[in-house]
Amino acid sequence: MKYLIMCEGANEKKIIELLLGNGRLRVEEDDLLGRIVYHARQIGMSPMVMGQLRIYGGDVEIWRIGDKQTDQLRIPPEFRKQIKKVTKYCTLPELEILLVLSEKKFREYEKRKSQKRPKAFAKENIAFHGRKYKGDTDFYEAYYGRDIDKLVAAIREYKQRNHSHKNEEHYLSEILKD
Amino acid sequence: MKILRISAKGFKNCADGFYMDFIAKSKKTSEDKEYELLEIDDELFVYSTVGIVGKNASGKTSALELLDWCYDILSSFRLSGKGGNYQGVSLEILFYEEGYLYKYSVELEDSETLEDRAIFKNQQLFRKQYYKTRMKQILTEDWKEKCYPGGEVPEDFSIVFFVLKKSAVREVYYDSSMENEKGYLIMFRFMDIAKLDAGFLAKVIRIFDDNITDLRQVDESDYLLTYQGRERAFSDRELYRFLSSGTTKGMNLYILAAISLRMGFDLIVDEIENHFHKTLVENLIMLYKDKQVNRKNATLYFSTHYCELLDLFHRSDNIWITHAKGKGTINNMYETFGIRTELLKSRKFYQNAFDTAVNYEALMDLKKDLMR
Repeated sequence: MKYLIMCEGANEKKIIELLLGNGRLRVEEDDLLGRIVYHARQIGMSPMVMGQLRIYGGDVEIWRIGDKQTDQLRIPPEFRKQIKKVTKYCTLPELEILLVLSEKKFREYEKRKSQKRPKAFAKENIAFHGRKYKGDTDFYEAYYGRDIDKLVAAIREYKQRNHSHKNEEHYLSEILKD
Repeated sequence: MKILRISAKGFKNCADGFYMDFIAKSKKTSEDKEYELLEIDDELFVYSTVGIVGKNASGKTSALELLDWCYDILSSFRLSGKGGNYQGVSLEILFYEEGYLYKYSVELEDSETLEDRAIFKNQQLFRKQYYKTRMKQILTEDWKEKCYPGGEVPEDFSIVFFVLKKSAVREVYYDSSMENEKGYLIMFRFMDIAKLDAGFLAKVIRIFDDNITDLRQVDESDYLLTYQGRERAFSDRELYRFLSSGTTKGMNLYILAAISLRMGFDLIVDEIENHFHKTLVENLIMLYKDKQVNRKNATLYFSTHYCELLDLFHRSDNIWITHAKGKGTINNMYETFGIRTELLKSRKFYQNAFDTAVNYEALMDLKKDLMR
């Protein structure tokens, strides 16, 4: 059995790759389909994912990583037998909430959350070594790349503070190694 | 260095003005940037893979050979060993190198004294700085700055030397000539260049034949093969006869691909599916799309008869379709046919959307004779 990790954006992919590369996920590269994490919203729209599913041919469990993920995952008929389970792991309302937590600006954000989404808040209030956050993937690499504990702490703190997930919406902390 | 566009006049059976370009044209999604595109400068994207399809004898090989000629000029600043026929060929090559765009044009002639070597005439070399804000003008004719310092150069020598300075492996063309006993020698030479050891080769061979656990080169034409646990000595000819054609091609091609990915040079493969299980071809294509493997911006250019391979492409502007009605022409799937990316390309091929279907009447005509 292999895990197929599908991230809805490049930033989510970077976060998962950082955790994976630092041995903080409860799976390792060898457990992953094609040994990598994918940037893909839908299987049928990703030739890379479809190609790897065909090459592997065995059972697969999917982890979808994103924020709200309102769109249903459509599994093309040829893969229906192969895919045994699909689980959604979210950060609500947006991934940037992790940066907000890491910067200890959660209270400040809470006060303004009716007017500002985390992404907009982060763009206005978060910088690292003089570089403002602009929604770019490289920022996550620079910010968490040398301090993976900071990322793990933010993911765990998010679980403690956020109780708004619906039943099918799992927390990123659940895929962390204990 | 990356080639952005090539065009030719008088090249083989290709129509004058035959061209291919390799700059991303259609919308670039973030997923495309992850798998299909290589960013060689700020917002300047070329492709990780380029596919060429078409009927038999439609000019797929010619298109790849043209690309190979251009790469040879940019790699060694000379053009030789292509079987002659340089006379009357004009080439224009646009390429990118370290923040600048270059346009090089040349007229070729056969040499009267140097066997199978092209003579370079009327060479011109222009450059302009790359600015992402002028993306739409990349291919347009505002080339003003000449960048050839002048002076005499040997008649078989290209002035692109003055820009690229050092000859280097910038591309390898994998064709049927590597599918003989001398292919092993070439493979081991490349392995030396890339410092790949026998352990790496063993991993590659295992994909194709798990009876083989080791292959080592003794000298230029002798090898030691460990087959089913027993070491045996082979000459290159004997080895070629002993191994299946799929193992020989697979080993040679996968090793070249591994070196291309490791060193960042481009790989051109004619009829990529020859002798291969489809899965292994798909895997090879996906290695170039995977940025954790393709870390130095290598591009795989290939031709194929298997249109299903193109379903591995999310985009359509990196697919070219050849036709030969009189002279050979080539068309871009996105520019000429406007295919939506979410559609399965293979299905469109079987629907003959690109006028590439096998001639049914010709098949039936033959069958009629066979039925008599």
